[in-house]
Amino acid sequence: MNAITETRAETRRKRGRGMAASWYGIARTATIDRAGAWAELDDGGTVKIVTGVTEIGEGILTVLAQVAAEETGTRPEDVTIGDNDTARSPEAAHAGATRQTYMIGNAVALASRQAREVLFEKIAEYWEVAAGELRAFDGEIWAEGSNLRMSVADAVAICKARGTVPVGSASFTANGTGLDPADGKGSPWQTYVFGTQVAEVEVDTWTGEVQVLGLWAAHDVGRAINPRGVEGQIEGGVVQGLGQALMEEYVTVDGHAATHGFAKYILPTALDVPQITCVIVEDEDPTSPLRAKGIGEPALVPTAPAIINAIYDAIGVRITTLPATPEKILAALRVQQP
Amino acid sequence: MPDMDLSCTVNGRPVARRVAAHARLLDLLRDDLNLTGTKEGCGAGECGTCSVFVDGKLVKSCLMPAGRAEGAVIETVEGLAGRGPLTPVQKAFHKTGASQCGYCIPGMVMAATACLRQNPEADLDEIKERMGGNICRCTGYTKILEAVEIARDVIAGRADASVLDADETLGESYIGHNVRRIDAPAKVTGRLRYAADMKLVDMLQMQVLRSPHPHARIVRIDTAEAEAMPGVECVITADDVPGKDGFGVFVHDQPVMARGKVRHVGEAVAAVAAEDLVTARRAVAAIKVEYELLPGLYDPEDALKPGAPVIHDYAPDNVVKHIPLRKGDIAAGFAAADVILEHEFGTQQVEHAYLEPEAGIAFVDHDDVVTVHSPSQNITHHRHMLAEILGLPINKVRMVMSPVGGGFGGKEDMIYQGMLAIAAMKTMRPVQLNFTREESLVASAKRHPSRVAYKMGLTSDGRITAVKFEMLSDGGAYGMSSEGVMRKAAILSCGPYEIENLQVDTRAVYTNNTPSGAFRTFGGMQAQFATESMMDMAAERLGLDPFEIRRINMYRAGSLTHTQHRLDRASLDQVLDAAEAASRWETGVPSVRGALRGDLGGPDTRRPCTLGARLAGGPATAAATEAAE
Amino acid sequence: MLTCDAYHRPRTLAEALALWADAPEGSRLVSGATDIYPWARDGRAGDVHLPAMIDLSGIGELRGYGFGKGRLHLAAGTVYQDFLTDPVLRQNLPCMPHVAIWFADDQIREVATLAGNLVNASPVADGTPAVVALNGAIELARLEDGEIRRRTVEIEEFIHGPGRTAIRKGEIATQVTLDTCCGYGGAFQKVGQRRSLVISVACCAALVRTDPEGRTFEDVRLALGGVGPGPMRLREAERMLRGERVEPEAILRAAHGAADRVASRSRLDYRREVVVNFVRAALEEALANRPNRAAAHDQSKETMANA
Ligand SMILES: Cc1cc2nc3c(=O)[nH]c(=O)nc-3n(C[C@H](O)[C@H](O)[C@H](O)COP(=O)(O)OP(=O)(O)OC[C@H]3O[C@@H](n4cnc5c(N)ncnc54)[C@H](O)[C@@H]3O)c2cc1C
Repeated sequence: MNAITETRAETRRKRGRGMAASWYGIARTATIDRAGAWAELDDGGTVKIVTGVTEIGEGILTVLAQVAAEETGTRPEDVTIGDNDTARSPEAAHAGATRQTYMIGNAVALASRQAREVLFEKIAEYWEVAAGELRAFDGEIWAEGSNLRMSVADAVAICKARGTVPVGSASFTANGTGLDPADGKGSPWQTYVFGTQVAEVEVDTWTGEVQVLGLWAAHDVGRAINPRGVEGQIEGGVVQGLGQALMEEYVTVDGHAATHGFAKYILPTALDVPQITCVIVEDEDPTSPLRAKGIGEPALVPTAPAIINAIYDAIGVRITTLPATPEKILAALRVQQP
Repeated sequence: MPDMDLSCTVNGRPVARRVAAHARLLDLLRDDLNLTGTKEGCGAGECGTCSVFVDGKLVKSCLMPAGRAEGAVIETVEGLAGRGPLTPVQKAFHKTGASQCGYCIPGMVMAATACLRQNPEADLDEIKERMGGNICRCTGYTKILEAVEIARDVIAGRADASVLDADETLGESYIGHNVRRIDAPAKVTGRLRYAADMKLVDMLQMQVLRSPHPHARIVRIDTAEAEAMPGVECVITADDVPGKDGFGVFVHDQPVMARGKVRHVGEAVAAVAAEDLVTARRAVAAIKVEYELLPGLYDPEDALKPGAPVIHDYAPDNVVKHIPLRKGDIAAGFAAADVILEHEFGTQQVEHAYLEPEAGIAFVDHDDVVTVHSPSQNITHHRHMLAEILGLPINKVRMVMSPVGGGFGGKEDMIYQGMLAIAAMKTMRPVQLNFTREESLVASAKRHPSRVAYKMGLTSDGRITAVKFEMLSDGGAYGMSSEGVMRKAAILSCGPYEIENLQVDTRAVYTNNTPSGAFRTFGGMQAQFATESMMDMAAERLGLDPFEIRRINMYRAGSLTHTQHRLDRASLDQVLDAAEAASRWETGVPSVRGALRGDLGGPDTRRPCTLGARLAGGPATAAATEAAE
Repeated sequence: MLTCDAYHRPRTLAEALALWADAPEGSRLVSGATDIYPWARDGRAGDVHLPAMIDLSGIGELRGYGFGKGRLHLAAGTVYQDFLTDPVLRQNLPCMPHVAIWFADDQIREVATLAGNLVNASPVADGTPAVVALNGAIELARLEDGEIRRRTVEIEEFIHGPGRTAIRKGEIATQVTLDTCCGYGGAFQKVGQRRSLVISVACCAALVRTDPEGRTFEDVRLALGGVGPGPMRLREAERMLRGERVEPEAILRAAHGAADRVASRSRLDYRREVVVNFVRAALEEALANRPNRAAAHDQSKETMANA
């Protein structure tokens, strides 16, 4: 850096860091949540999962395929799983409340496990071993401590030849209690997650622009079923949080929208995002078979306060109303140094 | 309507079509050639879901007259791989998990392809600039950019093509394994059909007349002229609802179409199903509605004032929901405090901005089952509500989830499926409704704008002794998810800290603003923005490091939450440690110490964006080079 | 939604002028169409029906550029991306690449024309201040008795206010002529809510030429956008600097005058503050961007560092 840029950097662009912590409950709030699923170990060692799941982009279908594969000893690509249809699939309720991995994941795990148990029972009979000796993984089934081994495809054929279709079904529930109407007392969720984020910002004191250069996000998600998918949720949540912190605002004037399209409703682009470092903390949930919790919503919570705290660290301006637009930042700086 | 004849080359094949004079290139591709990998996310050039190559240049096809296709060579996302294997860019997107909902992804793949065709050596800054015209709402761009860098390295010969197919070796379990998304190939090729991409034989197009007023009584609706227009199959209003009208996530206070009065600008008043979109829009314009304006409420504080206009008769005080929490004794808690901080915070109304605008198709099947395909986040609940609205047994209503191009809570409300179902029953033909972006903005729920008045007492060693937390949220014209949002906001309000004495009140009120509803975090963000700001202000006041003050107060196993739930375990200590370590946090009091910090600008931060990465070194040297010196 | 009774794509200017002369009232010309389509949507003009839409993008005569009398003649079909990709344009219009990189995105720039930007005459257009700084003029052609007649109007006279220009019925913009500023350093400052696809709250274009040593300002051009009904040339500041030594005090003095030129109806305080900073930053960056800077480089660094 030369002398010019140095003086300018000092006067014009200022950096700082801030952090924020957060917590969140998993599954529907203050109620009894529930989800159902059906599973079938199908011909060719494939698996059919039917459940009222709603993939909204978070990757739940992949997660459920992993869960079903794990439980049935098959591979995720062997699993057929479709979207929700109220006339064809058991109720598994909505895509929201950071509930799908937790609720439907456990329902699918239990249903798949049941189907696998049916298969194991028949193959144990066939091999004349105890069902408890059987294991299955990645398309193969074997009996521990023996040379007995075959593909899940063959096992399904044998099971069917013996007159049984290996199917399972399950319902999973998570308990919560309502809140007392007077003092709010209650146990709204079965499990909670926590998160902490650190943001590093640069504030341009000539224009009021804020750039978030780095963001570190540590989140407990319970057992991470697909770590890359978890990262995707964190990164997406962070950038939505950044949008809310710095630029997004749906404006109405006497009820009339002033931000009627994306030319006025400003969303973050690839140029606005920080480098994000995700740290996945796996504090496994002991109350559910999968031991997973969730991450969909919680990732967004600490981002805006971490950024706002970082802006304060950089320029000593405390923004209390979002978003921290360039105009708001300069106005606050003006008050600070008249 | 006048037509024109066009011939061009699309994805390597000659194509000739007759299209309407006003057609855009996007319409030619989607409607006439069924190349629906090209999406319409905004119709105004602002999102990039419609990016295609025309004569080798990437353009936004929503802003190009179809007439320009004449003689042109056009390449869409479907043409990248054709019938062959995925391209390196597509494979890299698959590998990194760059697609989530997938709606922006065909455009992203096109932008990435264009970038690497222009400059196969582009560095990350240049890649970002060249992809700056494409919006993604799910991924935070990180995995997308990672994918483009991998594809670049392969294309530039810096990495072997095998990296595109290589995966981590499988251990002993599929749980915890980075299995590639099973839906990614359909998304990176544009093959996945969302509701707006579907076509059924004999399908009608629906358009909706929306309220221009925030609060008005409907005196009369005259649909005669619209109904008489050739090509119009039906015009529906609240009078056509066969069963018990009303939907909502918690209270069923919203009619399928305005009933008696309108409560916000953009509320559906009537709908038309016609042979084509233009006819439907013209018919909508021909519906005459006489309104009698009513005084409106635009500020939640005003909604609570005595004598304020009443928006819903059932709620004369305009309160949608109030959630109180009481724990301990705040008077005693504040008395025990060494310092008391009091501040107010505000968060804005926020749009979900999923790239897929609302869309759906309804038809009555051969067994008289009313079937609705839509990207709904909660079809189970929608089926219950729709059966009541239609006055049908529940098994005569079937909701099918179409691929959801992003939701974030915004697709939990049944704001259009009712109109579609009624029109399908009236016409006995399939009916499709695709929202424009502008329509989506005014008609769908938003994140609640909230104000929080916060009072926090602490001892000088950093323990919180009491909190008084009061949140007022603008619920807008309808209840939607307000009740649940207020509940969650209250439960999470004071953050992950054990506070013996607290008084929390969250309230959502009706106004004549665009309704607020479910949005990722369901009130948790608004509440904890206030709490986490307060924690830093308290830390500065008490001379504590931000991590330290949080550790002093954090939940541990055995803590009693704000709703007096005894926790068996709490992992806050672990995530605090993890974030502190990962960020190499330099301990200190948060008193504007940015200039003095030694932990800034590490390898895990990006360079500030200066724009002009591609100009560096050229005839016009960019400022970027200067800064880098 | 935009609908029309007829869509024409003439291949020659004469054909276009004839069509335009005969077009029914309410018809529109389009070049890149990037202003027209977003305008015909809800929240703005709503559904618009045009009797005829005359698309100028197929006219060969409206492409390319040429030189004459120290001026660069850009055909009306010149798109923003050209300012980034064409080395001749980059060299001769040193502020334009910086405008272009801030303009919309790569895809819009492939079709959005400079001429369309000028005729659209938005107060927050990015091209207008730069064109004004380049002493730009626009050439307008019309048919008169079967003959093509042309007139040229200075951009400062051409833009009357938001969406209002000196263009007359039957006229088509055919050229934008600009000073060639080879040897100048160029810069462009812009602020909005993000860094891509963003409309300016304020912007500033600058061109600077110094003596070979970089000691004195020989020529300075400055113009603001977004701060009034039209682009604003800062002649006073230019005069102050011309012949002045390249020193921070001089730059600051010139910058301070800019605040008083802000005539916007909204965000006044913000714009006043930003334009002062912008003039300063634009001058500093334009100095840094001078093509022959290498020799004078260390010198200018020293003077600046003495600030
Ligand atoms: C997503 C997006 C981002 C944008 N970002 C920016 C930005 O950053 N900065 C900015 O300044 N603008 C921006 N714009 C606006 C727009 O792109 C520019 O104003 C552009 O230069 C207009 O050129 P065009 O060729 O597309 O004009 P058109 O839309 O074709 O026409 C604009 C007007 O000029 C008339 N016209 C066009 N050509 C001629 C001619 N030869 N003779 C006479 N009249 C003519 C038309 O009738 C119309 O009135 C953006 C637009 C979009 C959609």
